[in-house]
Amino acid sequence: MTAVAPGSTIVWLTLAAMGLPFAAFLAIFFVTRPRLLPSLVISLACSAFSLAVAWWLLIHLRGIDAPLMFQALWMHGGQASIGFGFLLDPLSLVMLAIVTSISFLVQVYSLGYMAGDPGMAKYYSFLSLFAWSMIGLVVASNLMQLYIFWELVGLSSYLLIGFWHQKFSASQAGKKAFVMTRLGDLGFFLGIIVLLLNLGDLSILGLNSQAAAKLSPALLTASAVLVFCGVVGKSAQFPLLTWLPDAMEGPTPVSALLHSATMVAAGVYLVSRLYPMYAASADALAIMLAIGTVTMLLASTMAMVARDIKQVWAYSTVSQLGFMLMGLGAGSYFAGVFHLTTHAAFKALLFLCSGVFIHHFGTNDFFDMSRQGARHLRIPMVCITIAGAALAGVFPLAGFFSKEAVMGSLAELDQGIWLWAGLLGALLTAYYTFRLLFVMWRPLQPLQDKQSNPGHDDHQHSGHSSFGYGVMSAALIVLAGFTIALGFLGDKLIAFLHWQRPPQIPHHTWLLVTAILVVLVGIALAWWEFGRRGAAQEGFLRRFPALETLFARRWYLDDLYRRLTDYVVYGVFSRLCTLNDRRVVDGAIDGVCRGTVGAGWLLSFLQSGLLQYNLFAMVLVIALVGIYFLLL
Amino acid sequence: MIARDFMLFLPELTYLVAALILFFMCLPQKADHKAIYAVALALAGLGVAGALLGMGQEGHLFFDAYQVDLFSQVFKLILAVAVLLVVGICHGLAGVEDRYHADFFLFLFTCGLGMMLMVSAVELMTLYVALELSSFSLYILVPLRRGDNLDVEAGVKYLFIGITASCVMLFGMSYIFGVSHTTYLAGIMDRLPLIIQQPAAMIGLMLTLSGFFFKLAVFPFHFWAPDVYQGAANQVAAFIATASKAAAVALLIRLTALTGGTSLYFIDVLMVLCVASMTLGNLVAIVQKGIKRMLAYSSVAHAGYVLMGILTMSELGYSAAVFYSMAYMLMNFAAFGVVVMVATSGQNLAISDLAGLHKRSPLLALTLMIALFSLAGIPPTVGFTGKFLVFAGAMQQGYFWLVLVGMINATISLYYYLMVIKAAYLSESPAELPPLVVSMPLRLLNYLLIAAMVYFGVCPGGFLDLAQAAVRGMMGGD
Repeated sequence: MTAVAPGSTIVWLTLAAMGLPFAAFLAIFFVTRPRLLPSLVISLACSAFSLAVAWWLLIHLRGIDAPLMFQALWMHGGQASIGFGFLLDPLSLVMLAIVTSISFLVQVYSLGYMAGDPGMAKYYSFLSLFAWSMIGLVVASNLMQLYIFWELVGLSSYLLIGFWHQKFSASQAGKKAFVMTRLGDLGFFLGIIVLLLNLGDLSILGLNSQAAAKLSPALLTASAVLVFCGVVGKSAQFPLLTWLPDAMEGPTPVSALLHSATMVAAGVYLVSRLYPMYAASADALAIMLAIGTVTMLLASTMAMVARDIKQVWAYSTVSQLGFMLMGLGAGSYFAGVFHLTTHAAFKALLFLCSGVFIHHFGTNDFFDMSRQGARHLRIPMVCITIAGAALAGVFPLAGFFSKEAVMGSLAELDQGIWLWAGLLGALLTAYYTFRLLFVMWRPLQPLQDKQSNPGHDDHQHSGHSSFGYGVMSAALIVLAGFTIALGFLGDKLIAFLHWQRPPQIPHHTWLLVTAILVVLVGIALAWWEFGRRGAAQEGFLRRFPALETLFARRWYLDDLYRRLTDYVVYGVFSRLCTLNDRRVVDGAIDGVCRGTVGAGWLLSFLQSGLLQYNLFAMVLVIALVGIYFLLL
Repeated sequence: MIARDFMLFLPELTYLVAALILFFMCLPQKADHKAIYAVALALAGLGVAGALLGMGQEGHLFFDAYQVDLFSQVFKLILAVAVLLVVGICHGLAGVEDRYHADFFLFLFTCGLGMMLMVSAVELMTLYVALELSSFSLYILVPLRRGDNLDVEAGVKYLFIGITASCVMLFGMSYIFGVSHTTYLAGIMDRLPLIIQQPAAMIGLMLTLSGFFFKLAVFPFHFWAPDVYQGAANQVAAFIATASKAAAVALLIRLTALTGGTSLYFIDVLMVLCVASMTLGNLVAIVQKGIKRMLAYSSVAHAGYVLMGILTMSELGYSAAVFYSMAYMLMNFAAFGVVVMVATSGQNLAISDLAGLHKRSPLLALTLMIALFSLAGIPPTVGFTGKFLVFAGAMQQGYFWLVLVGMINATISLYYYLMVIKAAYLSESPAELPPLVVSMPLRLLNYLLIAAMVYFGVCPGGFLDLAQAAVRGMMGGD
């Protein structure tokens, strides 16, 4: 598919929407940081502008039949050239709208959530930095540009997770997230190098149209899998999934923005971005499907036992991202992107609602919240229920439709196991979601005395202003609207994504019925354990302590990694490297350094300040040069 | 016709008028420092405006002894910007005797004028006179410093070495005249490549170049640099380290282009000087305690890098050298600017005096760090791009060993630059020093320099195209 050059209005507006958040970051970080109000105004204004442009582009270009590309040459050398610019096609337009919307809503919401925090201006500058990196990533016309912004997104994520860096766990979590995603990015970068060396062109359209034809199948699979390593890191897939739950140490709006709706979805977005290339390699798709499935099941089991409300949603995010990859791996581009879209809305809503509770009750434990009377906060309670139902896949909320799409694509596969895994995942999802909702609605022993806040206070909030509650609720209501409405836009989205020529999707009535039944079973199970009058609210897993511990310890993945780092990395590599460093490298370098410094001393004696000597040296050199020329 | 000639001569005329105005400001017994500074700043701004207006002018003046082309105008712009920057950090001018402030600016402008004339001169005598105008202004600027007698010693030394270089240069010019029977560069360019194998022609040219080697502080004409940098006021040192180098690069390019790149022996000698400058400068810089002396030796090393671009005698190498001289102007000025701003009473700084700078003024510490990273050639700064271009130019000619030596040298240089950064960021100052107050315009200047160093490092395209066009015009047009 050949790209068309966009008109100048679109070019300037898009470039402005790309650049303004960065300008906001610079302005806030370097100039207005000591003063809160101008910082907030700058950040919100730039964010609102990007939002307006994103939606205007989406509406204005709803009928395009060829991608729009604007690109300036950045680097040119040998056979390869690398451009910088933007690529607007249905996928990037949809993602752009998602990113800017959530980003704007989170900025509005943070007005209430972060009120009174001494670092609030810095927080907004980081949010702007994140918005810039994410927008740059989404519209990137070129894999190198995408990679650069991909890393910038990682950086802003690191900054925001560790925002409360006084807290040791927060800075640890930031570090963990950074290191684990870097591990994946290494593969990604190797993939880029392989593609660059073999194709000499990294433009996304070029990769999608030519990679399959120009690369040998083995090479294609290799580069696709290498790039997928980056996805595994960024979207917290197996085996790099443990950083995301820890990343919840950041402020809750950050978790909503980065670690559920946008940044972690960047991995899934990357696969969708290069989907034609992936589709050309059956092996790469199979790997993707397998990793997605394993991740989805592992993470759902972890979510079943967590008591921290943000942890539950974090596991659920990991599991849903796995679900999106299953859809993509099963060959349905639309299913993956659709679930990505709806997930962004309802997961952001879940986090933001949780944020209200955390802000209000000063605890992350939802059993505690419930005891302190969470159900009296009507707006967030209703919203969290809507979002939870959407996550579980209850008709007619957004999650139901997108899940159906993924299930439909799984049903098309030859082996039935994938579908069964998907259904099992849906069952677990419904169970853990409604476990949380039932606990929240039905406190076991309501506390009369609201003064006694439990100890582990996550968020230093200073009073609950009605303004704060107001702006937070406003953001919640908007997102709830999306959660209800997005599901019905599936037909429009599929037509848009496939350039108005949607493929025929077979409908299976039995699948529909089964899926609904599975969800109902999950809800019923949760009701029996947590919702009915007199329920112990312990969960059936209490009767299988081994299993419960296994899930609670995250399948011992962290312990495994810890052992692995201790024995292999520290015990073998580090030790050998240190030895090599001390004895060989340091020894050699020290020798060279001593030699160099010594030579410096020696020469500096020659640089004595005596004028006669200086002039003599000059004349001597000139004479030598003259003699050299004469002797030739 | 007259009007057009005036346009051709506009940058120089601006400077001439500026020098006149400043001359009259020298006359009163009691001078108002603030007014003098304001006037000088305004005049330097006008100078940049004049240089900008002069861009794109082409033509000949004064019986063809004076050529205005893109090449000369680009360098005039660099010079005018350098003068403006230096005047910009002369606020207060604590390092110079009070009654000499107007004189200080006067000689700054005459020196700038001399260098502007120099880059346009295409006739040997004109060239010589222009060079001496700028040199003599500097000979006077150096001892203007307040206080100890270090400045006088430095001034005398500068004068002696400068005069010796000048003699050598005149001697060389007489040889060139002898073998080519003309003093016009255009005429020399026609004849010289045919007779370059004669020792007289080669020796003549090499001796002529020595005057500019002196300006650029290339080995063995570098002896003045450390003493002069140390002895002169900080602002003067900044000026010598930036503007005067750029002019010398321009002339070295013009004069080496005369050979048409035909003489391998000539290139051999340049290579030896290049390697000697780089190595000697970097090695000796390591053991320096004073930051100005360190920067002086580092400038010797950088002269070597520029020479590497020049000795390729190719379009790529020359434009790399032009780019490098712009880059060097920026980053070296940024480093000197920090020295000037930290040394509030105009004293000389030891490297250890920078301890705790990041607490006293984070902005200055940042500027210093980026400037030094740039000098060391670390991406994404302009110094990296400059080095890369110079090395690429040399590789294109197949001088692999030269590039290797250059790279080893860049690594060595990292050592002493990092020592300064370590002092500024990691060392704690022994005594509790007050925070440095940097005024708003100077803060802006620092931001601007940082932005420029990064911008030209990431997007060198615009200036590089300009440099290439200038070099192409110079090589084809002469």
